Amino acid sequence: MSSDFHLVAYLTGIVIISLFVNMGVSLYGMFARPSLIKKLIALTILSDTANVFAILVGYRRWPPGSIVKPPVLTELPPTPERVARFVSTAVDPLPQALVLTAIVIGLAVIIFLAVIIMQIYRTYGTTDVRLISKMRGERR
Amino acid sequence: MIDQTIGGLPLFLMIAAFILPLATFKIKSKVFYHAYATGVTAVALVLSIINLLIVRRDGTVIYFFGGWPPPLGIVYEVDAISAFFGVLVASIMFLAVLYSIWYMREFDGVEWYYVLMLGLTAGSIGCVYTGDAFNLFVMIEVLSVAAYALVAFFRSKPEALEAAIRYGLVGATATTMYFLALVFLYGSFGTVNMADLALKMRPWIVTSNPEVVHYFNQLSGSLFGNPVLGAAVAIALSLWAFTFKAALFPNHFWLPDANPEAPTPVSAVFAAVIDSIGIYAVLRFMYTIFGPDSLLATGTYMNIRAPVMTILFILGLASALVGALLLAIQKDVKKLLAYSAISHVGFIFMGLSVGTSAVSENIRILAIGAVIYHVLSNSIGEALLFFTSGVFIMSTGSRNLDVLAGLGRRYPVALVGTIIGVLHLFGIPPLAGFFSKYALFMAMLDAGNIIGAVALVAITGISLLGYVRFMYIIWLGRPREEVSLRIKSEPLTAVIPIVLLVAASVVLGVAVQPVLKELIMVADTSFSAAGVTRYISAAVDLLRLLQG
Repeated sequence: MSSDFHLVAYLTGIVIISLFVNMGVSLYGMFARPSLIKKLIALTILSDTANVFAILVGYRRWPPGSIVKPPVLTELPPTPERVARFVSTAVDPLPQALVLTAIVIGLAVIIFLAVIIMQIYRTYGTTDVRLISKMRGERR
Repeated sequence: MIDQTIGGLPLFLMIAAFILPLATFKIKSKVFYHAYATGVTAVALVLSIINLLIVRRDGTVIYFFGGWPPPLGIVYEVDAISAFFGVLVASIMFLAVLYSIWYMREFDGVEWYYVLMLGLTAGSIGCVYTGDAFNLFVMIEVLSVAAYALVAFFRSKPEALEAAIRYGLVGATATTMYFLALVFLYGSFGTVNMADLALKMRPWIVTSNPEVVHYFNQLSGSLFGNPVLGAAVAIALSLWAFTFKAALFPNHFWLPDANPEAPTPVSAVFAAVIDSIGIYAVLRFMYTIFGPDSLLATGTYMNIRAPVMTILFILGLASALVGALLLAIQKDVKKLLAYSAISHVGFIFMGLSVGTSAVSENIRILAIGAVIYHVLSNSIGEALLFFTSGVFIMSTGSRNLDVLAGLGRRYPVALVGTIIGVLHLFGIPPLAGFFSKYALFMAMLDAGNIIGAVALVAITGISLLGYVRFMYIIWLGRPREEVSLRIKSEPLTAVIPIVLLVAASVVLGVAVQPVLKELIMVADTSFSAAGVTRYISAAVDLLRLLQG
């Protein structure tokens, strides 16, 4: 029992630490990499990390000794015991709803940015921000 | 208490924005597009004024979507400050769309331009009306996507593309940070509803009337872990996103980048509306949710709110100084106006940071009233100057101040607008810009912030150089001979917004006593301890009503 608990705490710790590392890596990619495509990829990694983090907040561990069975109500109308078991095993659905919304919005932003990057590539022939700012300097 | 026009207004704008692309299949007339967008924003303005009147009559008004009461569903909660910002946003958007009728007449793709403009209006109105921190995120994203796309509207211009990608990438990062802040808020408070958050940050309300706590907590649970720590992380992350929207130093860089490349009405909207949204969000977070009487400032833990306010003060000071210094050396007229906006946002944040728990509530309310007054006068001044420079820019096809020299003498209305706008922003009585700066000055003196009060005067002095140079070049500069002018005189749809804004600047300045009294009352009904209690109890009363 106790070793099981340690294992779970250890794994959760790894997940949390790797999420923060992920965030750091994506912010580095966002601000330090010269390629616009890599910046965009870093942005998607950042928003995905934030989404996983939201899911993690809604996560709950099943109480020890509970029946391993997905929290689904199979009979309608449900009996009070079924509802009580459902409530004790289901995760918090609200973070998932938030993440769903955030993913949809993120899709719109990322498609827009991808189109702009494509248009920049057509205009400048490169997606390297150093070259782009140099070219702008020459034309003026 | 429950009112349909509150929830209806953003939805109406959103639906109106998406009907327009469908209408383009059948109707190919540019006149229709112009008339449609003007009509929709006019209706939005009328509705926002109706909302203001309702809020003045009934107090805080709530609308909940889909029958889900707070804190479960999306709630729109409009109090005095939201209604005021709603009218401000709607009127600036209406004037910008009216101005676009003339400005955009020669460009293709007007229908898409108006789709984005209406989307931006919907996002801004949603931002100020919402009573749900997650819906604020959604609305900020709606506003931002429209804003990114409007920067890239001239999509064959390389500079516009570059400005859009720089604005878009950093803006998307900032809003992701705000999402992360919401995760922290939800994790430690179990809710993203603003009234619920505000209640959970104020244990003294619960101790004074214990039956209140039951209504929210049965649905959103109680606190988890250390609420102050969670709130501190959330404030750190969300203020980044808000100060990015408000163009506060060091997040100001997007405004001078994006402003010149966007069409001129959009530049006016950037400096007048999006800045105000950022300031509104900071007010809502730092005064309603994490106010001076909340756990952050009064709890047994360290007073976290005071350092946050000090940081905002320092950033505001830096922003005002940077804006005023860079104002003087700009060659591009729109960049000059962008730095002017940054400088004024700095002043606003200096005034906003006065309200720590160390000063008395009267002075806090006075300071917030002055902040709202300065937001108003900054929006009027920036919009006015962008509209008048739009005339010069359209006439010569250039934004370079050397090319625009002496043009003011050819366009009398635009010249009067420029002179009034510059004097207004610099602060010459009897224009509103003087009195709002004076109110900020007095508020900082009252709060004992001598550095702020002196810096306000000194930075205004520094900005004199940039403003006078701008006015001198436009008015008395020697015109270039090879410049050919494309328009004979200012068209009607450019004259109307300019005249209205000049009138607003004069009227709001001359009638300073009633205006300031009114704005201080707005601040008092929204941000005093009693006002915040009313904001919370509006949501609690609704729950009580629904449960019978």
